[in-house]
Amino acid sequence: MATTTAAVTLASDLMSTNMSVTASTTCMKAGTTADGLDQMEYGYLDLITGDEYDLIAATPTAGKASKLYLKNHSTDETYFIAITQGTQAIGKLYGGDWMFIPADFHDAAGEIAITANGGTNKICYALFHEGIALNASA
Amino acid sequence: MATTTATITLSSTDLLSDELALSTTATLTQAANSTGLTGTTGLARKTTASASEYTLFAAANYTDDKAHKLYLKNTETTAALYFEVQVGGTVVGKLYAGDWALIPWSADSTGTNCDVDITPSTSASHTLEYMLFTDE
Repeated sequence: MATTTAAVTLASDLMSTNMSVTASTTCMKAGTTADGLDQMEYGYLDLITGDEYDLIAATPTAGKASKLYLKNHSTDETYFIAITQGTQAIGKLYGGDWMFIPADFHDAAGEIAITANGGTNKICYALFHEGIALNASA
Repeated sequence: MATTTATITLSSTDLLSDELALSTTATLTQAANSTGLTGTTGLARKTTASASEYTLFAAANYTDDKAHKLYLKNTETTAALYFEVQVGGTVVGKLYAGDWALIPWSADSTGTNCDVDITPSTSASHTLEYMLFTDE
């Protein structure tokens, strides 16, 4: 069984008492503690402005426990990537921001789409999953 | 200026032939500038007692189209117990026992009502830990 660990630390002085929240999880297949996610896709690319792109070209198996990491490596604070699923706006990743989300890929409305704004954004992503449907060769 | 940082570490020694070790830190700032986020709900917990959908954050209560960040953690230990996470009625994914997520949230309330909703997998007790950092 592959063991992949995802840990997070959130630290802030926003409140009267400094805050530090930590969490760590082993990325498992859906509904089990016996078998870890054992496949991944990883990439680093330039995302030009203008069009919306599907981040993941092939389709991971729907309804599973896939995890998606995405970071905007742009250094310009005004640049951002708009994240949508189907037609639904989720949020924006500004330069330096990252996200780590459960990704269901339940149907076409579950595709993660990204759009660069401000200029060419540099992004890094990693998808941990338990199966993917490759597109047939033309 | 308040400083809030989010650090992620992804690691595995056996997923690939080479060791995976990725770590990065983001300083959470407002949209399109370098000023730190100034608001937070603080860390909170919600325990559900039915399989109904619950609204965790209503977009109408936050400034539209900003750089809010949402932290979620399923504190359950039984593997099959999950929370389905939706934004604006679209399923993002399922947080299984022990899983956490950090999600950028625009609180879009102009195009669609971008509420954050959760639905537990069963009517058994499920506990979710959550915190929102806001760009107001």
